Formats: sequence, structure tokens, C-alpha cells
Amino acid sequence: MRKLLPDLCLVAAMPLLVYSVHRVFLETPNERQMGTAFKIFFFHVPMGWICMLMAVVCGIAAGVQLRRRSTMGAAVALAAAEMGFVTGLGVLLTGPIWGNATWGTPWTGDARQVTTALLWLVIVAYLLLRHYGPRSSDRLAAALAIFGAVNVPIIYYAVKLWKTMHPSTGVVASLPPEMWASFWPALSGLLLCCLGLFGLRIRQLVLAEELDVAWVQAQDRA
Amino acid sequence: MNELNAPTTTPQPAAPTTAQPAQDPAYGPAVGLSLKEKEQVRQLEGIAAEKTARDYQHIVLAYGVLWALFAGYGIFLWRRSARLRADMNDLRRTLDRHPPGP
Repeated sequence: MRKLLPDLCLVAAMPLLVYSVHRVFLETPNERQMGTAFKIFFFHVPMGWICMLMAVVCGIAAGVQLRRRSTMGAAVALAAAEMGFVTGLGVLLTGPIWGNATWGTPWTGDARQVTTALLWLVIVAYLLLRHYGPRSSDRLAAALAIFGAVNVPIIYYAVKLWKTMHPSTGVVASLPPEMWASFWPALSGLLLCCLGLFGLRIRQLVLAEELDVAWVQAQDRA
Repeated sequence: MNELNAPTTTPQPAAPTTAQPAQDPAYGPAVGLSLKEKEQVRQLEGIAAEKTARDYQHIVLAYGVLWALFAGYGIFLWRRSARLRADMNDLRRTLDRHPPGP
């Protein structure tokens, strides 16, 4: 059952994503000031949340890997970083498209944009170290992952700490019921899809590690 | 003498009567705009509002980017999976050639 969990997540995500796209485009009214561009919100915000969640998971798993030299910790940290890379890139691309439509400029350099870009760059650095760095760079990679996780609360509170054009943290809670009804399927569909892909990647990384060990044993035997 | 002491300033015209403030606080008097300019502004605002309500270019771009990213990651995972399967088959063949001793 545990092995099937990623596949089940992906299977459950598909109808939810189809339903959410249907709701966003056909059932949700346009926002009064932003018009159609507001429809980007329904996937931009969940992706931002998932990116932050993955950064935290990556940081914790990297800490576990550092302390216990755990193979599973290393696999979870790498899979979370990859998922954080994908969702972070999604946030950094859809945000400026939305900003260009509503603010008239894709990048205002406000606190939340900058801190999110910083988190994404930390994730990129972590992935580069894990993929191309020597074995001894594991500690540095884990430190980077922990730094990324520490950046997450700064991103969340950036709109409160500094003056910014970015919508505040309470915008989701203040959504009218018809928009809220479109937001939760988009959030749960995207979350399930990301968790499914994350689980599949962990499975692959663990299998790759086991194969490496099996190859060494087979070569010793030969 | 009385004529000399008379005020020399020209008589000021009566102050224009200010428009009565509207009952609704959302509406204030438009100052410094002619009727023609006001109509132009209203027309441009109408065009902008219509464009905002019908402009799907941004959404198509944003959703296209989003699904392309997930599709790209899906393909990456699928290719990794295929490579792992091939590696596993190679390992099986190697083990068949060199079976474990007693």
C-alpha cells in the first residue's frame, strides 16, 4: 500500500486538476479590478505554497542525512529539492506574467519576489552540488538546504515586514465563496500531483542506490 | 480728500457659487477637465476595462508555462525510470552469467 501511495496521489490528482481548470475558466467570475489576469492566482499561490513546503522538507531531510548518514534522508532531500525547483520556477514565471498584466511591469523587485528568487537560487545551488559535487560536498549541500528552509518564513512574512505591492498573506482567507470553491480543488489537485511525483522520485533514488550496491556485489562476485 | 481715501482696488467679481457636494461620497466634482476631456477619459477607461475583462493572452501564457513545467518533469522522471529498468535488466543478465557460488 505504501509503495502505491505516489501512484494513488497522481490518479487522485488528475480529476481534481481537470475539475479545477473547468471551475477557474468557466465557473469563476472575473475579479473586478484585475479581470481575467486574476485567474493566474488559482495556480500561482498553491505553487508558491508547495515550493515553500518542499524547501522545508528538503531542509529537514538534509539535516537528518547530515546527522544519521541516512540514504532515505538523502533521497527525500534531493526529491524535495527537485520538486521545489519545478514549483519555484512555476511561481517565478507565472508571477511576472500576472504582474505584467496588473502592475504593468513583470518585476518590481519587491521583497517577496526577491526572497522567492533567492530561495529558488539556493535550491538550484543545492541541486548542482548534489548532482555534480564530490562526495565530500554533502555537508555543504545540506547546509544550503537548511539555509533554504530558514528563508521560507522570511518569504511568508516579507509582505508584512517590508513595503510591497504584493498581495498580503490574508488574501486567500478573504476570497469570496465562488473563488474559494475554485481555489481548494486547484490547491489539492496540485498538491496531490506534486506529492505523487515527489514519491515516485524518492522511489527511483532509493532503487538507484540499491542498484549501485547490487552492481558492486555482482562485480566482486565476477 | 474723501475721493483720495477711496479704495483704489477694482471691485472683485462675485465668488463663483461652488457646486453642491454630491450625496454619494464616491463621486466628487471633476476639477480641471472640460466635458470633452471627461468623455475621452471615460471612453479610455471603458476600453481598458473591456480589455482587462477579455484579455486571455496572459492566462494562456501562464497556464502554458505551468503545464509545460510539469510535463517536462514528468518526462524527466519517465526517462530516469526507463534507464533504471535497463540497468536492472543488465544486472540480471550479469547475475545469470555469474550465479552466486555455494
